[in-house]
Amino acid sequence: MKMNRRKLLSVLGMSPALLAGPGAGGKEKTASGPTKLTGVNPRGIAPAVQLVPMAPRLASLDGKTVFLVSDGFPGADHFLAQMGAWFKKNMPSVTTEYRLKAGQFADDDPKLNAEIKAKGNAVIMAIGH
Amino acid sequence: MGFPTAPMVTIAFKDLAKSNAASRGMPLERICFTPHPVWGKTDAEMYAYLEGNDPVSGKPLMKEVIDALTQPLTAEEQKTGSVEISTGPATYTDTAENLQQYYLDNGMTDFMQIVIPTEEKLAEMLKGTSHKPDEVVGRMSPARGSYPEWSFTVRQVAINAVMAGAKPEYLPTILAIAETGLTSLSSSTNSFATAAVINGPIRDKLNMNYGIGAMGPFAQSNAAIGRAWTMLSRNLSNSGVPGQTYLGTLGNGVNYNNLILPENEKDSPWTPLHVQKGFKAEENVVSVFVGFSISQGQGGIGLGVKPVPQYHEAIAYNCIPFGPLFGALIVCDPLVAQGLVELGYKTKEQLADWLQKNSLISAKNARSTLFANRWVPDATTPDDAMIPYYQRADSYNFVVIGGQTNPYHMVGNMSYRVSISIDKWA
Repeated sequence: MKMNRRKLLSVLGMSPALLAGPGAGGKEKTASGPTKLTGVNPRGIAPAVQLVPMAPRLASLDGKTVFLVSDGFPGADHFLAQMGAWFKKNMPSVTTEYRLKAGQFADDDPKLNAEIKAKGNAVIMAIGH
Repeated sequence: MGFPTAPMVTIAFKDLAKSNAASRGMPLERICFTPHPVWGKTDAEMYAYLEGNDPVSGKPLMKEVIDALTQPLTAEEQKTGSVEISTGPATYTDTAENLQQYYLDNGMTDFMQIVIPTEEKLAEMLKGTSHKPDEVVGRMSPARGSYPEWSFTVRQVAINAVMAGAKPEYLPTILAIAETGLTSLSSSTNSFATAAVINGPIRDKLNMNYGIGAMGPFAQSNAAIGRAWTMLSRNLSNSGVPGQTYLGTLGNGVNYNNLILPENEKDSPWTPLHVQKGFKAEENVVSVFVGFSISQGQGGIGLGVKPVPQYHEAIAYNCIPFGPLFGALIVCDPLVAQGLVELGYKTKEQLADWLQKNSLISAKNARSTLFANRWVPDATTPDDAMIPYYQRADSYNFVVIGGQTNPYHMVGNMSYRVSISIDKWA
Protein backbone atom coordinates (compact mmCIF):
# COMPACT_ATOMS: atom_id res chain seq x y z
CA MET A 1 0.00 0.00 0.00
CA LYS A 2 1.24 3.29 -0.91
CA MET A 3 1.30 5.43 2.15
CA ASN A 4 1.69 9.12 2.00
CA ARG A 5 2.89 11.11 4.93
CA ARG A 6 -0.63 12.19 5.89
CA LYS A 7 -1.75 8.62 6.30
CA LEU A 8 1.44 7.78 8.13
CA LEU A 9 0.79 10.44 10.70
CA SER A 10 -2.75 9.20 11.17
CA VAL A 11 -1.50 5.71 11.74
CA LEU A 12 0.93 6.98 14.28
CA GLY A 13 -1.88 8.79 16.06
CA MET A 14 -0.60 12.18 15.18
CA SER A 15 -2.41 15.05 13.61
CA PRO A 16 -1.87 15.50 9.91
CA ALA A 17 -1.93 19.19 10.61
CA LEU A 18 1.67 18.94 11.67
CA LEU A 19 2.52 18.76 7.99
CA ALA A 20 1.59 22.37 7.71
CA GLY A 21 4.44 23.30 10.03
CA PRO A 22 4.46 25.59 13.05
CA GLY A 23 1.38 27.67 13.47
CA ALA A 24 -0.93 25.51 11.40
CA GLY A 25 -4.29 25.09 13.03
CA GLY A 26 -3.69 28.23 15.21
CA LYS A 27 -3.56 31.89 14.49
CA GLU A 28 -2.01 32.85 11.23
CA LYS A 29 1.70 33.16 11.57
CA THR A 30 4.79 32.31 9.47
CA ALA A 31 4.15 33.89 6.10
CA SER A 32 2.21 36.83 7.42
CA GLY A 33 4.20 37.09 10.66
CA PRO A 34 2.81 37.53 14.17
CA THR A 35 -0.79 38.48 14.79
CA LYS A 36 -1.52 42.12 14.24
CA LEU A 37 -3.87 44.38 16.10
CA THR A 38 -5.54 47.61 15.13
CA GLY A 39 -5.44 50.31 17.77
CA VAL A 40 -7.49 53.49 17.62
CA ASN A 41 -6.30 57.06 17.91
CA PRO A 42 -6.76 58.37 21.47
CA ARG A 43 -6.37 62.04 20.63
CA GLY A 44 -8.96 64.76 20.98
CA ILE A 45 -10.05 67.36 18.48
CA ALA A 46 -7.62 70.21 17.92
CA PRO A 47 -9.26 73.47 16.87
CA ALA A 48 -8.35 74.95 13.53
CA VAL A 49 -5.91 77.83 13.71
CA GLN A 50 -7.35 81.13 12.58
CA LEU A 51 -4.52 83.20 11.14
CA VAL A 52 -4.38 86.72 12.57
CA PRO A 53 -2.66 89.45 10.56
CA MET A 54 -0.14 91.43 12.56
CA ALA A 55 -0.85 95.10 13.22
CA PRO A 56 0.86 97.59 10.88
CA ARG A 57 4.30 98.67 12.06
CA LEU A 58 5.50 102.19 12.78
CA ALA A 59 7.90 104.02 10.47
CA SER A 60 10.08 104.73 13.50
CA LEU A 61 9.82 105.12 17.26
CA ASP A 62 10.96 108.76 17.25
CA GLY A 63 8.57 110.86 19.29
CA LYS A 64 6.33 107.88 19.98
CA THR A 65 4.93 106.50 23.23
CA VAL A 66 5.73 102.88 23.97
CA PHE A 67 3.83 101.07 26.72
CA LEU A 68 5.97 98.63 28.67
CA VAL A 69 3.50 96.01 29.86
CA SER A 70 4.24 93.42 32.53
CA ASP A 71 2.42 90.11 32.31
CA GLY A 72 2.79 89.80 36.08
CA PHE A 73 5.54 87.23 36.28
CA PRO A 74 8.17 87.88 38.97
CA GLY A 75 10.90 90.20 37.79
CA ALA A 76 9.00 91.63 34.83
CA ASP A 77 8.51 94.96 36.62
CA HIS A 78 12.23 95.34 37.31
CA PHE A 79 13.14 94.24 33.82
CA LEU A 80 10.81 96.76 32.21
CA ALA A 81 12.17 99.50 34.48
CA GLN A 82 15.56 98.79 32.93
CA MET A 83 13.97 98.86 29.51
CA GLY A 84 12.64 102.34 30.31
CA ALA A 85 16.11 103.39 31.44
CA TRP A 86 17.58 102.08 28.19
CA PHE A 87 15.20 104.15 26.09
CA LYS A 88 15.86 107.25 28.19
CA LYS A 89 19.59 106.89 27.61
CA ASN A 90 19.65 105.68 24.02
CA MET A 91 16.42 106.98 22.44
CA PRO A 92 15.32 109.96 24.56
CA SER A 93 12.62 110.98 22.09
CA VAL A 94 10.69 107.86 23.02
CA THR A 95 8.27 108.14 25.93
CA THR A 96 7.72 104.97 27.93
CA GLU A 97 4.80 104.13 30.20
CA TYR A 98 4.90 101.12 32.53
CA ARG A 99 1.74 99.15 33.26
CA LEU A 100 0.94 95.87 35.02
CA LYS A 101 -1.63 93.98 32.99
CA ALA A 102 -4.69 93.02 35.00
CA GLY A 103 -5.69 89.41 35.58
CA GLN A 104 -3.64 86.29 35.14
CA PHE A 105 -0.75 86.38 32.72
CA ALA A 106 -2.75 85.12 29.74
CA ASP A 107 -5.88 87.16 30.42
CA ASP A 108 -6.88 89.99 28.15
CA ASP A 109 -7.05 93.46 29.73
CA PRO A 110 -9.56 95.49 27.67
CA LYS A 111 -9.19 98.58 29.88
CA LEU A 112 -5.44 98.68 29.34
CA ASN A 113 -5.87 97.97 25.63
CA ALA A 114 -8.18 100.97 25.37
CA GLU A 115 -5.70 103.18 27.20
CA ILE A 116 -2.86 102.11 24.92
CA LYS A 117 -5.01 102.70 21.86
CA ALA A 118 -5.80 106.21 23.09
CA LYS A 119 -2.41 107.27 24.37
CA GLY A 120 0.21 104.96 22.92
CA ASN A 121 1.77 103.86 19.67
CA ALA A 122 3.34 100.51 20.47
CA VAL A 123 3.77 97.87 23.17
CA ILE A 124 6.65 95.88 24.55
CA MET A 125 5.30 93.03 26.70
CA ALA A 126 7.48 91.00 29.03
CA ILE A 127 8.50 88.43 30.13
CA GLY A 128 7.95 85.25 32.21
CA HIS A 129 10.60 84.46 34.81
CA MET B 1 -4.72 94.16 20.01
CA GLY B 2 -4.43 96.43 17.01
CA PHE B 3 -1.10 98.09 17.75
CA PRO B 4 2.45 96.97 17.03
CA THR B 5 3.73 94.75 19.81
CA ALA B 6 7.10 93.26 20.58
CA PRO B 7 6.69 90.29 22.94
CA MET B 8 9.77 89.53 25.03
CA VAL B 9 10.39 86.09 26.49
CA THR B 10 13.37 84.44 28.14
CA ILE B 11 15.11 81.76 26.10
CA ALA B 12 13.87 79.00 28.43
CA PHE B 13 10.44 79.46 26.88
CA LYS B 14 11.50 79.65 23.23
CA ASP B 15 9.56 76.60 22.03
CA LEU B 16 6.56 77.47 24.16
CA ALA B 17 6.43 81.03 22.89
CA LYS B 18 6.73 80.06 19.26
CA SER B 19 4.20 77.22 19.39
CA ASN B 20 1.81 79.35 21.41
CA ALA B 21 2.04 82.20 18.92
CA ALA B 22 1.43 79.78 16.06
CA SER B 23 -1.56 78.17 17.73
CA ARG B 24 -3.05 81.62 18.28
CA GLY B 25 -2.72 82.48 14.61
CA MET B 26 0.58 84.33 14.47
CA PRO B 27 3.19 81.75 13.47
CA LEU B 28 5.63 84.52 12.48
CA GLU B 29 5.13 86.73 15.53
CA ARG B 30 8.26 88.81 16.14
CA ILE B 31 9.26 87.41 19.51
CA CYS B 32 12.46 88.77 21.08
CA PHE B 33 14.41 86.62 23.53
CA THR B 34 16.59 87.42 26.52
CA PRO B 35 18.85 85.10 28.48
CA HIS B 36 17.17 83.20 31.29
CA PRO B 37 16.20 83.94 34.01
CA VAL B 38 15.15 87.52 34.62
CA TRP B 39 13.68 86.84 38.04
CA GLY B 40 16.31 87.35 40.75
CA LYS B 41 18.73 89.27 38.57
CA THR B 42 20.07 92.68 39.59
CA ASP B 43 19.17 95.82 37.70
CA ALA B 44 22.68 95.88 36.26
CA GLU B 45 22.41 92.30 35.07
CA MET B 46 19.07 92.99 33.42
CA TYR B 47 20.43 96.11 31.75
CA ALA B 48 23.30 94.00 30.46
CA TYR B 49 20.74 91.65 28.90
CA LEU B 50 19.34 94.63 27.00
CA GLU B 51 22.76 95.71 25.82
CA GLY B 52 23.61 92.18 24.72
CA ASN B 53 22.36 89.90 21.98
CA ASP B 54 19.15 87.99 21.51
CA PRO B 55 20.34 84.44 22.33
CA VAL B 56 18.16 82.97 19.58
CA SER B 57 19.02 85.22 16.65
CA GLY B 58 22.45 86.33 17.88
CA LYS B 59 21.59 89.91 16.95
CA PRO B 60 21.64 92.94 19.30
CA LEU B 61 18.55 92.57 21.46
CA MET B 62 17.31 96.15 21.48
CA LYS B 63 17.78 96.44 17.72
CA GLU B 64 15.55 93.38 17.42
CA VAL B 65 12.95 94.96 19.67
CA ILE B 66 12.93 98.19 17.67
CA ASP B 67 12.88 96.30 14.37
CA ALA B 68 9.95 94.21 15.63
CA LEU B 69 7.98 97.42 16.01
CA THR B 70 9.15 99.27 12.91
CA GLN B 71 10.11 96.90 10.09
CA PRO B 72 7.33 96.66 7.48
CA LEU B 73 5.24 93.54 7.54
CA THR B 74 5.80 90.78 5.02
CA ALA B 75 2.96 89.24 3.06
CA GLU B 76 3.17 86.12 5.23
CA GLU B 77 2.76 88.18 8.38
CA GLN B 78 -0.48 89.63 7.04
CA LYS B 79 -2.08 86.36 6.03
CA THR B 80 -5.58 85.45 7.11
CA GLY B 81 -7.54 82.22 6.83
CA SER B 82 -7.98 78.95 8.64
CA VAL B 83 -5.51 76.07 9.02
CA GLU B 84 -6.78 72.62 10.05
CA ILE B 85 -4.67 70.70 12.58
CA SER B 86 -4.38 66.93 12.19
CA THR B 87 -4.04 64.69 15.23
CA GLY B 88 -2.98 61.66 13.18
CA PRO B 89 -4.62 58.68 11.50
CA ALA B 90 -7.76 57.13 12.94
CA THR B 91 -6.15 53.72 13.49
CA TYR B 92 -2.75 52.04 13.63
CA THR B 93 -2.18 48.38 12.73
CA ASP B 94 0.84 46.40 13.88
CA THR B 95 1.94 43.75 16.32
CA ALA B 96 1.08 44.33 19.96
CA GLU B 97 4.73 44.96 20.74
CA ASN B 98 5.14 47.48 17.94
CA LEU B 99 1.90 49.20 18.86
CA GLN B 100 3.10 49.63 22.42
CA GLN B 101 6.18 51.32 21.05
CA TYR B 102 4.15 53.37 18.57
CA TYR B 103 1.87 54.82 21.23
CA LEU B 104 4.86 55.51 23.47
CA ASP B 105 7.02 57.06 20.75
CA ASN B 106 4.19 59.32 19.66
CA GLY B 107 3.63 60.76 23.10
CA MET B 108 0.30 59.09 23.77
CA THR B 109 1.22 57.30 27.02
CA ASP B 110 2.64 57.93 30.47
CA PHE B 111 5.73 55.96 29.39
CA MET B 112 4.43 52.76 30.90
CA GLN B 113 2.75 49.83 29.17
CA ILE B 114 -0.81 50.52 28.12
CA VAL B 115 -3.78 48.39 27.18
CA ILE B 116 -3.91 48.62 23.38
CA PRO B 117 -7.22 50.36 22.60
CA THR B 118 -8.74 48.08 19.97
CA GLU B 119 -12.28 48.61 18.70
CA GLU B 120 -13.35 45.53 20.69
CA LYS B 121 -12.00 46.87 23.98
CA LEU B 122 -13.43 50.29 23.20
CA ALA B 123 -16.88 48.81 22.56
CA GLU B 124 -16.70 47.03 25.90
CA MET B 125 -15.66 50.22 27.67
CA LEU B 126 -18.49 52.19 26.11
CA LYS B 127 -20.97 49.85 27.80
CA GLY B 128 -20.10 51.76 30.97
CA THR B 129 -22.14 54.78 29.89
CA SER B 130 -25.52 55.39 28.29
CA HIS B 131 -24.17 58.38 26.42
CA LYS B 132 -23.54 58.26 22.71
CA PRO B 133 -19.92 57.87 21.63
CA ASP B 134 -19.91 61.05 19.58
CA GLU B 135 -21.31 63.27 22.35
CA VAL B 136 -18.94 66.09 23.18
CA VAL B 137 -17.83 65.87 26.82
CA GLY B 138 -15.92 69.11 27.20
CA ARG B 139 -12.83 71.13 26.45
CA MET B 140 -9.36 71.12 27.95
CA SER B 141 -6.02 72.85 27.47
CA PRO B 142 -2.59 72.60 29.13
CA ALA B 143 -3.38 75.90 30.91
CA ARG B 144 -6.73 77.60 30.52
CA GLY B 145 -6.42 80.81 28.56
CA SER B 146 -2.83 80.17 27.56
CA TYR B 147 -3.31 77.47 24.94
CA PRO B 148 -6.08 76.57 22.51
CA GLU B 149 -8.68 74.31 24.04
CA TRP B 150 -9.17 70.92 22.44
CA SER B 151 -12.58 69.32 22.56
CA PHE B 152 -13.30 65.64 23.00
CA THR B 153 -16.08 63.08 22.84
CA VAL B 154 -17.28 60.19 24.99
CA ARG B 155 -15.55 57.81 22.60
CA GLN B 156 -12.22 59.61 22.96
CA VAL B 157 -12.43 59.61 26.75
CA ALA B 158 -13.29 55.90 26.64
CA ILE B 159 -10.24 55.16 24.48
CA ASN B 160 -8.02 56.72 27.11
CA ALA B 161 -9.84 54.82 29.85
CA VAL B 162 -9.03 51.57 28.03
CA MET B 163 -5.37 52.55 27.72
CA ALA B 164 -5.21 53.25 31.48
CA GLY B 165 -6.53 49.82 32.38
CA ALA B 166 -9.95 50.97 33.55
CA LYS B 167 -13.07 48.82 33.75
CA PRO B 168 -16.30 49.92 32.03
CA GLU B 169 -17.91 50.73 35.38
CA TYR B 170 -15.19 53.32 36.02
CA LEU B 171 -16.10 55.23 32.87
CA PRO B 172 -18.73 57.61 34.33
CA THR B 173 -16.23 58.78 36.95
CA ILE B 174 -13.56 59.25 34.29
CA LEU B 175 -16.02 61.15 32.09
CA ALA B 176 -16.87 63.43 35.02
CA ILE B 177 -13.18 64.12 35.60
CA ALA B 178 -12.77 64.86 31.89
CA GLU B 179 -15.75 67.20 31.98
CA THR B 180 -14.05 69.35 34.63
CA GLY B 181 -11.69 70.48 31.87
CA LEU B 182 -8.82 70.44 34.34
CA THR B 183 -5.67 68.90 32.92
CA SER B 184 -3.56 66.84 35.28
CA LEU B 185 -0.47 68.01 33.37
CA SER B 186 -0.55 71.76 33.86
CA SER B 187 1.94 73.60 31.68
CA SER B 188 3.16 75.67 34.62
CA THR B 189 6.86 75.82 35.50
CA ASN B 190 5.75 74.98 39.06
CA SER B 191 5.16 71.26 38.38
CA PHE B 192 1.62 71.26 39.71
CA ALA B 193 -0.34 68.24 40.90
CA THR B 194 -4.06 67.54 40.78
CA ALA B 195 -6.47 65.79 43.12
CA ALA B 196 -9.93 64.32 42.60
CA VAL B 197 -12.15 63.81 45.62
CA ILE B 198 -14.78 61.13 45.00
CA ASN B 199 -17.98 61.18 47.05
CA GLY B 200 -21.15 59.12 47.09
CA PRO B 201 -22.13 55.44 47.01
CA ILE B 202 -20.11 54.82 43.85
CA ARG B 203 -17.00 54.58 46.02
CA ASP B 204 -18.22 51.23 47.31
CA LYS B 205 -19.69 50.14 43.99
CA LEU B 206 -16.24 50.54 42.41
CA ASN B 207 -14.45 49.02 45.42
CA MET B 208 -12.51 52.22 45.89
CA ASN B 209 -10.08 52.22 48.77
CA TYR B 210 -10.74 54.98 51.30
CA GLY B 211 -9.35 53.05 54.26
CA ILE B 212 -5.82 51.87 54.99
CA GLY B 213 -3.38 53.20 52.39
CA ALA B 214 -6.14 55.03 50.54
CA MET B 215 -3.74 57.22 48.62
CA GLY B 216 -1.39 54.36 47.77
CA PRO B 217 -1.44 51.69 45.05
CA PHE B 218 -3.93 49.37 46.71
CA ALA B 219 -7.08 49.41 44.60
CA GLN B 220 -7.62 49.00 40.87
CA SER B 221 -10.32 51.66 40.72
CA ASN B 222 -8.25 54.30 42.52
CA ALA B 223 -5.26 53.48 40.35
CA ALA B 224 -6.92 53.24 36.95
CA ILE B 225 -9.16 56.27 37.39
CA GLY B 226 -6.16 58.33 38.42
CA ARG B 227 -4.05 57.06 35.56
CA ALA B 228 -6.83 57.71 33.08
CA TRP B 229 -6.85 61.39 34.13
CA THR B 230 -3.25 61.79 33.06
CA MET B 231 -3.74 59.70 29.92
CA LEU B 232 -6.69 61.79 28.78
CA SER B 233 -4.96 65.03 29.75
CA ARG B 234 -2.10 64.06 27.48
CA ASN B 235 -4.22 62.98 24.55
CA LEU B 236 -7.32 65.12 24.72
CA SER B 237 -5.70 68.50 25.35
CA ASN B 238 -2.12 68.11 24.10
CA SER B 239 -0.85 68.65 27.65
CA GLY B 240 2.49 67.21 28.64
CA VAL B 241 4.81 68.03 25.75
CA PRO B 242 8.02 69.10 27.52
CA GLY B 243 9.20 72.52 26.38
CA GLN B 244 5.95 73.31 24.59
CA THR B 245 2.95 72.48 26.69
CA TYR B 246 4.73 71.29 29.83
CA LEU B 247 7.28 73.52 31.56
CA GLY B 248 7.39 72.10 35.11
CA THR B 249 11.03 72.47 35.98
CA LEU B 250 11.21 69.56 38.45
CA GLY B 251 8.21 67.54 37.34
CA ASN B 252 5.89 65.78 39.77
CA GLY B 253 5.59 62.05 40.43
CA VAL B 254 1.98 62.56 41.46
CA ASN B 255 1.20 63.17 37.79
CA TYR B 256 1.45 59.43 37.07
CA ASN B 257 -1.96 58.74 38.57
CA ASN B 258 -2.79 61.86 40.57
CA LEU B 259 -4.27 62.15 44.05
CA ILE B 260 -7.46 60.13 44.06
CA LEU B 261 -9.30 60.80 47.31
CA PRO B 262 -12.49 58.79 47.87
CA GLU B 263 -13.75 60.35 51.08
CA ASN B 264 -14.22 58.00 54.04
CA GLU B 265 -17.76 59.16 54.62
CA LYS B 266 -18.81 56.41 57.03
CA ASP B 267 -16.03 57.17 59.50
CA SER B 268 -16.07 60.93 59.12
CA PRO B 269 -17.86 63.02 61.72
CA TRP B 270 -18.25 65.85 59.21
CA THR B 271 -20.36 66.63 56.17
CA PRO B 272 -18.87 65.10 53.01
CA LEU B 273 -17.22 67.48 50.59
CA HIS B 274 -19.81 67.06 47.84
CA VAL B 275 -22.61 68.02 50.21
CA GLN B 276 -20.65 71.14 51.16
CA LYS B 277 -20.55 71.95 47.46
CA GLY B 278 -24.32 71.71 47.10
CA PHE B 279 -24.96 68.09 46.12
CA LYS B 280 -27.12 65.54 47.93
CA ALA B 281 -25.44 62.89 50.04
CA GLU B 282 -26.69 60.07 47.80
CA GLU B 283 -25.29 61.67 44.66
CA ASN B 284 -22.00 60.56 43.17
CA VAL B 285 -19.66 63.48 42.58
CA VAL B 286 -16.07 64.23 41.70
CA SER B 287 -14.45 67.44 42.98
CA VAL B 288 -11.10 68.50 41.56
CA PHE B 289 -8.20 70.45 43.04
CA VAL B 290 -4.94 71.79 41.62
CA GLY B 291 -1.81 73.10 43.28
CA PHE B 292 1.56 72.14 44.67
CA SER B 293 0.59 68.64 45.84
CA ILE B 294 0.36 67.57 49.48
CA SER B 295 2.84 66.65 52.15
CA GLN B 296 2.54 64.85 55.45
CA GLY B 297 1.84 66.99 58.47
CA GLN B 298 3.00 64.85 61.35
CA GLY B 299 5.34 66.37 63.90
CA GLY B 300 3.92 69.84 63.67
CA ILE B 301 3.43 72.26 66.52
CA GLY B 302 0.52 71.31 68.72
CA LEU B 303 0.57 67.57 68.31
CA GLY B 304 2.73 67.00 71.39
CA VAL B 305 0.44 68.97 73.70
CA LYS B 306 -0.85 66.86 76.59
CA PRO B 307 -3.28 65.39 77.12
CA VAL B 308 -5.04 66.27 73.88
CA PRO B 309 -3.26 66.90 70.55
CA GLN B 310 -4.14 70.34 69.25
CA TYR B 311 -4.79 69.31 65.65
CA HIS B 312 -6.06 72.72 64.58
CA GLU B 313 -2.79 74.34 65.65
CA ALA B 314 -0.81 71.63 63.88
CA ILE B 315 -2.73 72.21 60.65
CA ALA B 316 -2.22 75.97 60.89
CA TYR B 317 1.49 75.45 61.50
CA ASN B 318 1.88 73.07 58.60
CA CYS B 319 0.23 75.55 56.25
CA ILE B 320 2.84 78.25 56.98
CA PRO B 321 5.01 77.46 53.94
CA PHE B 322 2.03 77.90 51.64
CA GLY B 323 2.14 80.57 48.97
CA PRO B 324 -0.85 82.69 48.06
CA LEU B 325 -1.30 81.20 44.61
CA PHE B 326 -3.52 78.39 45.89
CA GLY B 327 -5.77 77.60 48.86
CA ALA B 328 -5.42 74.75 51.33
CA LEU B 329 -6.55 71.15 50.93
CA ILE B 330 -6.36 69.37 54.28
CA VAL B 331 -6.56 65.57 54.20
CA CYS B 332 -7.38 64.07 57.61
CA ASP B 333 -7.54 60.54 58.88
CA PRO B 334 -10.89 59.95 60.63
CA LEU B 335 -9.03 59.91 63.96
CA VAL B 336 -7.90 63.49 63.36
CA ALA B 337 -11.37 64.59 62.29
CA GLN B 338 -12.88 63.02 65.41
CA GLY B 339 -10.20 64.69 67.55
CA LEU B 340 -11.05 68.05 66.00
CA VAL B 341 -14.72 67.53 66.78
CA GLU B 342 -13.77 66.90 70.41
CA LEU B 343 -11.81 70.16 70.35
CA GLY B 344 -14.98 71.97 69.37
CA TYR B 345 -14.84 71.98 65.59
CA LYS B 346 -18.15 70.32 64.95
CA THR B 347 -18.09 71.18 61.26
CA LYS B 348 -15.52 71.67 58.56
CA GLU B 349 -16.76 75.25 58.24
CA GLN B 350 -15.97 76.02 61.89
CA LEU B 351 -12.44 74.76 61.45
CA ALA B 352 -12.02 76.72 58.22
CA ASP B 353 -13.22 79.85 59.97
CA TRP B 354 -10.72 79.40 62.82
CA LEU B 355 -7.86 78.76 60.40
CA GLN B 356 -8.72 81.80 58.30
CA LYS B 357 -8.69 84.05 61.36
CA ASN B 358 -5.63 82.53 63.00
CA SER B 359 -3.29 81.66 60.14
CA LEU B 360 -1.53 84.98 59.76
CA ILE B 361 1.48 86.37 57.95
CA SER B 362 3.21 89.73 58.31
CA ALA B 363 2.61 92.18 55.51
CA LYS B 364 6.37 92.30 55.00
CA ASN B 365 6.59 88.56 54.47
CA ALA B 366 3.47 88.60 52.34
CA ARG B 367 5.07 91.15 50.04
CA SER B 368 8.10 88.94 49.63
CA THR B 369 6.13 85.98 48.35
CA LEU B 370 5.76 85.00 44.75
CA PHE B 371 2.92 86.81 43.00
CA ALA B 372 2.64 89.16 45.99
CA ASN B 373 1.57 91.88 43.57
CA ARG B 374 -1.62 89.92 43.02
CA TRP B 375 -2.86 89.65 46.57
CA VAL B 376 -1.37 92.01 49.17
CA PRO B 377 -4.35 94.22 50.11
CA ASP B 378 -2.78 97.63 49.61
CA ALA B 379 0.55 99.38 49.74
CA THR B 380 -0.36 101.39 52.85
CA THR B 381 -0.54 98.30 55.07
CA PRO B 382 2.38 98.54 57.56
CA ASP B 383 5.11 95.94 57.26
CA ASP B 384 4.47 94.58 60.75
CA ALA B 385 0.71 94.24 60.30
CA MET B 386 -0.42 90.63 60.55
CA ILE B 387 -2.83 89.68 57.79
CA PRO B 388 -4.61 86.38 57.03
CA TYR B 389 -2.98 84.01 54.60
CA TYR B 390 -6.32 83.75 52.88
CA GLN B 391 -9.02 86.34 52.59
CA ARG B 392 -11.81 83.78 52.64
CA ALA B 393 -12.50 80.83 54.93
CA ASP B 394 -13.57 78.70 51.98
CA SER B 395 -9.98 78.74 50.79
CA TYR B 396 -9.65 75.85 53.26
CA ASN B 397 -11.15 72.51 52.19
CA PHE B 398 -11.09 69.26 54.14
CA VAL B 399 -11.33 65.63 53.09
CA VAL B 400 -11.51 62.74 55.53
CA ILE B 401 -9.71 59.64 54.29
CA GLY B 402 -7.67 56.81 55.75
CA GLY B 403 -7.75 53.67 57.83
CA GLN B 404 -7.41 54.98 61.41
CA THR B 405 -4.10 53.27 62.10
CA ASN B 406 -2.57 56.62 63.15
CA PRO B 407 -3.97 60.14 63.65
CA TYR B 408 -2.27 61.61 60.61
CA HIS B 409 -3.12 64.52 58.42
CA MET B 410 -1.62 65.94 55.26
CA VAL B 411 -1.71 69.49 53.99
CA GLY B 412 -1.71 70.60 50.39
CA ASN B 413 -1.31 74.06 48.92
CA MET B 414 -4.11 73.28 46.48
CA SER B 415 -7.25 75.05 45.35
CA TYR B 416 -10.72 73.72 44.78
CA ARG B 417 -11.88 74.12 41.19
CA VAL B 418 -15.23 72.46 40.50
CA SER B 419 -17.52 69.54 41.36
CA ILE B 420 -19.16 67.46 38.64
CA SER B 421 -21.90 64.83 38.87
CA ILE B 422 -20.76 61.32 38.08
CA ASP B 423 -24.36 60.11 37.84
CA LYS B 424 -25.06 62.18 34.76
CA TRP B 425 -22.46 60.13 32.90
CA ALA B 426 -23.83 56.70 33.91
